[in-house]
Amino acid sequence: MNAVASNEFKILFTGPMGAGKTTAISAISDHEAVSTDVINTDLAQCNKELTTAALDYGQILLPDNSCVRLYGTPGQERFRFMWPILLNNAAGVIVLLNGEHPELLEHLEHYVDAFGAGKVPMVVGVGRLPPEDLSRLETLAMRLEERGIALPIFDADVRQQDDVLLLVDALLCQIEADDCRSLEA
Amino acid sequence: MTAQSPLGKVGTSIATKQLEKFGQETKGVTSAVLLTNDGFQVASLHLNDESASKLAAMGSSLAAIGQAIAKEASLKECSRMIVESETGVVTVMEVRGVSPPMSLAVVANDASILGQLLWASKECCRSLAEQLSRK
Repeated sequence: MNAVASNEFKILFTGPMGAGKTTAISAISDHEAVSTDVINTDLAQCNKELTTAALDYGQILLPDNSCVRLYGTPGQERFRFMWPILLNNAAGVIVLLNGEHPELLEHLEHYVDAFGAGKVPMVVGVGRLPPEDLSRLETLAMRLEERGIALPIFDADVRQQDDVLLLVDALLCQIEADDCRSLEA
Repeated sequence: MTAQSPLGKVGTSIATKQLEKFGQETKGVTSAVLLTNDGFQVASLHLNDESASKLAAMGSSLAAIGQAIAKEASLKECSRMIVESETGVVTVMEVRGVSPPMSLAVVANDASILGQLLWASKECCRSLAEQLSRK
């Protein structure tokens, strides 16, 4: 999977329902993000008013004039058909997780596997963690390590622009490192 | 995970009967699903559960993209989407005035006549809204 052009990257935000994908894209997009929010009727799965039915879209211009196009996936399994469509031509993936969720580890593995960790640059952002307690991040990292996967994992409040930009920066560093490796090969 | 139909048994039964009537009276209709706008099937015609669930999810995504494009183009709300192919059409049409928000996805073969299909779908949506708000 390659970026569309050397100065234009498409990156994808994914993760379970309620992890903050729409919020993250809105937090950093240079213009009003395009969302496909609809009224959520599945309050048992996630108690929030709206949910993404197709995609989110935003974009940011970096200081070096690179354009980063930001796409968000719907989180629910029933919208899985959208995932490969949105992943097509993506230079990298940001997996967002809800640190409070009882199935946090399962969510990590599910989205990391579904979006091809190891085949595509990827970083993980975890929100709603207890303050001063990063033990859940260690647990997540260990679970990936057991499976031979090494990914940067960050504590991230997706409402904070700086936190989301840190995730994007980390991903772009990975994309760049991958490009250098492929040039050397 | 499948949420319970938001219409309950009575509402679902009314919707199913309405879809059957629509299928019988409209040329070329091969299947249909009444769906919530967040992608759950409420009632379906000529589809097994798996296919109905899939069409409901895809129909809701299509409707949501239609709304986003209409908004971006400074148009009023998108009321329907049409996918045309050589062998048939898929339409997704908003059912106005129901709660939760719903749409009707219809699949028709090449025996269908688009204008007729759209008119009949619109009538079906109107009738669904009328009956569901009365129950």
